[in-house]
Amino acid sequence: MTQPSLSWQDAAGDSREIGFRPGQSIAAALTAAGVRELRATRRGLDGEGRGLHCGMGVCQDCLVEVDGEPNTRACVTKARLGMRLRHQDFPGVARLLDGPVPVPDDSPLPAPQVVDLLVLGGGAAGLSAAIAARRCGLDVLVVEERGALGGQYYKQPAPGLDASALDAQQAEGGALAAAAEASGARILRGAELWGAFDLDRLAIFDGTRTRLVAPRAVIVAAGAYERPHVVPGWTLPGVMTTGAAQTLWRSHRVLPGRRVLVAGNGPLNMQVACELAEGGAQVVAVAEAAPHPARRPLAAVALAAADPVLAAKGVRYLAALARRRVPLLHDTVLRAVARAPSGALQATLTGGAAFEADAVLLGYGFLPSHETLRALGAECAFDAARAQFVPLRDDDAMTTVPGLFAVGDCAGLGGAPAAREEGVIAAVAVALRLDREVPVAMLEARTAARLRLARHRRFQDALWALFAAPRAGLSLAEATTVVCRCEEVTKGEIDAALADGAPALGEVKRRTRCGMGRCQGRYCGQLLAEHLAATQGRPLDNLALFAPRAPVKPIAIADIVALDRAP
Amino acid sequence: MTPPREVAVAIVGGGIVGLCTALELARAGTEVLVLDDAARLGGTTANAGSLHVQMQSRFIRMYPEQVPGLERSLPLYTAAARRWTELERELGTSIELKPSGGLMVAETTESYEFLARKCEREKRLGLRVEMLGRAELARIAPYLGEAVVGAEFCAEEGKLNPLLANQAVRRAVLAEGGAILPETRVEHLAPDPRGGWVLRSASGELRAGRVVLAAGAGTGGLLAPLGLRVPTVAEPLHMNVTEATAPLISHLVQHAERMITLKQLAAGQVVVGGGWPARLHGERQHPTVEASSLIGNLRLASHIVPRLARLRLIRSWAGVNTTVDGQCVLGEVPGRPGLFTAVPGDAGYTLGPLVGRLAAGAVLGRRDLDFDIRPFSPGRFAGAAALA
Ligand SMILES: Cc1cc2nc3c(=O)[nH]c(=O)nc-3n(C[C@H](O)[C@H](O)[C@H](O)COP(=O)(O)OP(=O)(O)OC[C@H]3O[C@@H](n4cnc5c(N)ncnc54)[C@H](O)[C@@H]3O)c2cc1C
Ligand SMILES: Cc1cc2nc3c(=O)[nH]c(=O)nc-3n(C[C@H](O)[C@H](O)[C@H](O)COP(=O)(O)OP(=O)(O)OC[C@H]3O[C@@H](n4cnc5c(N)ncnc54)[C@H](O)[C@@H]3O)c2cc1C
Ligand code: FES
Repeated sequence: MTQPSLSWQDAAGDSREIGFRPGQSIAAALTAAGVRELRATRRGLDGEGRGLHCGMGVCQDCLVEVDGEPNTRACVTKARLGMRLRHQDFPGVARLLDGPVPVPDDSPLPAPQVVDLLVLGGGAAGLSAAIAARRCGLDVLVVEERGALGGQYYKQPAPGLDASALDAQQAEGGALAAAAEASGARILRGAELWGAFDLDRLAIFDGTRTRLVAPRAVIVAAGAYERPHVVPGWTLPGVMTTGAAQTLWRSHRVLPGRRVLVAGNGPLNMQVACELAEGGAQVVAVAEAAPHPARRPLAAVALAAADPVLAAKGVRYLAALARRRVPLLHDTVLRAVARAPSGALQATLTGGAAFEADAVLLGYGFLPSHETLRALGAECAFDAARAQFVPLRDDDAMTTVPGLFAVGDCAGLGGAPAAREEGVIAAVAVALRLDREVPVAMLEARTAARLRLARHRRFQDALWALFAAPRAGLSLAEATTVVCRCEEVTKGEIDAALADGAPALGEVKRRTRCGMGRCQGRYCGQLLAEHLAATQGRPLDNLALFAPRAPVKPIAIADIVALDRAP
Repeated sequence: MTPPREVAVAIVGGGIVGLCTALELARAGTEVLVLDDAARLGGTTANAGSLHVQMQSRFIRMYPEQVPGLERSLPLYTAAARRWTELERELGTSIELKPSGGLMVAETTESYEFLARKCEREKRLGLRVEMLGRAELARIAPYLGEAVVGAEFCAEEGKLNPLLANQAVRRAVLAEGGAILPETRVEHLAPDPRGGWVLRSASGELRAGRVVLAAGAGTGGLLAPLGLRVPTVAEPLHMNVTEATAPLISHLVQHAERMITLKQLAAGQVVVGGGWPARLHGERQHPTVEASSLIGNLRLASHIVPRLARLRLIRSWAGVNTTVDGQCVLGEVPGRPGLFTAVPGDAGYTLGPLVGRLAAGAVLGRRDLDFDIRPFSPGRFAGAAALA
């Protein structure tokens, strides 16, 4: 059988055919073919364009022209036979709509569709919530932006990819997704909740139309994304998050590069390093910001006590790295990335070590995706221990907004096992809130979930005590380092704005454009807020970030106005 | 900065009017201090940067009785647009001002004919306006959709980037020796028995020889305790901005019958607004976006300019406009020597620099102002007679 192919036209205008495996994303197909730079930037600050970075549709860096449509995210767009891809100039030329243009409509918005429960996100937390809610007899709608269920932890093979589960983790996710499908919940895949205007006015684009939904309760299970690590060269094509590399491998069976350097903080980096090495990559080093576990024996013991099975898994990763002679450097942080004369990336670490690699992976922890929660008015507070804004919740995972629940990593990083328990707890709470008769089995399931959750949380606390490391913030950025990736705003420009009258966050944004781009400040917002807290003494409170505004993620106007008027 | 205890002129409100007033006063060698609340998003930080000159045909239809007033104000708008051009030159930095002209588009012959009659009247009043049919539009504005049958073109209109303009004016104020106290809300204002005024804020008491109230929607609240009822109303309005695209829309575009303005910024983003309502939400009265406005405004935008449909919306926001009675509230408060108001009429950002200049002129007691500002006096509101 011949492999399907698509065409790629590079910055110089030269075209070539690129083969791919059905089901793969454009980003995966291009990465496999060694293409790293997908587009030019407005200012061309690093002398290079941009490529894949977050690998999950958040950073909006991987823009490419697809069949004449500019600014298409390569990481979330499926490769198709005969597609014409083009390295894209900034800012691209808007294409004309095929078909009729929308006609202004003076009639009021259609009445929103009523459901008992809307679950936002089809990962560990969301699927578990949906299944439990169905068992309590609720009418459930799940909205998942990706084509595959499972989320980040249970990353499934891309739909259509002819590949079996890689390991137990993927198989477990497959089983959870199948259970959710069978539960009777309505599941919208490839659907975007783009407007969280009010709890009873949620705008969802399902791939064809926008519908307004008025759920009686909402469980947000939107997950997390990787914390930025701002160093010179972090915008270079080939520098991507650990999660992006893991998705390339686990969902698309593509390695991020032949030689890979992994730098970050926390166990995921070691896991991914092992997976990639097993897949055939040469992992040149793993740089871990935390000290060696032997220097924190108490925390190591606490970890083993909290969950011996998970702790043993960690030890196995360490052993596997040692077996492959991958240098694991503790107390070591990535300090800069540059383009080496050979064309590879040159990564410099604190302590002075330098490595050449085709891909540099950054895994410096996570930030919760709380934008929908904030838009709906859920109050957030800064968790200094984890350095993230988290929604305030009660024991049932309900936020400060009655009827709005937050479960899993969007409520603060807790890992997949905890996320599943929280899903059950919140779903039962919703059923009780809606005065439904909850089966005894589900009440018991909730009690069991609470017990296990306590254990998972002890494990997480021990884990992060073991991996505690100083955070770089903006301290590794130089004046010319880009802080706001989208609008290409440098540290020097931000400093200049701050030196002129110590402006507040909104004013810094308006003066520099920091935070005004497509990712909507997801990467630079918290960095800036923390910087203002440190330098101006501003509180890290509910108002410390950019205002939560529609759309949740950029969306075509045609998709917004394609209103579903059916009752 | 440590807040001063005394100043010659205090300006309450650091929007475009307050800043431009400060700039003119500082240039004249007067000691000025601007106090701005900033907790409330005023029109200046949120606005679309459209320079409006021609009359809104929609308003004329809705409020025919207001036509004489609108026509009287026309020279103010032409002068205001010109003032922006001068100001950009004086500032010595680009604010992306483009006097590219504005199109008010019509979708029906009836609407086109209404515009044509408006155009005739405006021409007689000295505006540079003309009617353009389909063929001419296809030439100068090929981005317009087929639904558009014609438009009134006004050469004086245009656009600028308020994000750049606000900063440039702010820096100019500081460079001329003016001072700005941001994030400071004036809670109370009272005449000082020793002469002048006392302003109270969280950073203490400030004595000022003269005070200019350029506080937008906050102006009425500061005046009420003094017995003057200026009905400034906070009107939360909606805005949208798209991803950047190659140059597409060169003019300021409006609609003859519907609420919309759209234009493209120099970096390629398209800003869509036009006065769709937002709402004030919660304890902080935070201006918040409404689904109906977002969808309605964008539906209309992509109807007029079909190529917008494939562009992605990146962000929407809401800001607080100030309405009174459509006219400026400008001049000294009768019976309250040393207290001035400077609130612009409709399209207040367009008017900002001109109103600032007129307000500064009034403070300095200049008699050579380009406009007779007496019709705009705060003395036209309830309570004024008793004060005087
Ligand atoms: C011509 C023009 C073009 C623009 N283009 C863009 C653009 O491309 N992209 C873009 O993002 N913006 C753009 N803006 C918008 C602009 O900079 C600000 O976003 C605007 O001033 C509105 O502010 P905001 O309320 O959205 O707050 P932001 O400036 O986004 O955020 C800061 C403010 O939000 C408040 N806040 C934080 N959390 C909350 C909460 N939960 N509830 C209430 N308040 C909260 C903070 O206290 C702070 O005051 C543009 C503006 C103009 C005039
Ligand atoms: C979304 C939107 C779009 C618009 N688009 C356009 C446009 O395209 N073209 C146009 O010409 N006009 C436009 N306008 C109108 C225009 O923005 C305003 O008329 C204009 O900016 C008003 O300027 P200002 O200085 O009078 O008031 P504001 O900009 O409202 O400034 C008043 C300031 O006073 C401060 N203040 C209030 N009370 C106090 C107090 N007690 N103490 C201290 N400070 C205080 C406020 O915080 C605020 O900063 C728009 C308005 C909005 C809301
Ligand atoms: S890499 Fe595609 S959006 Fe971040």
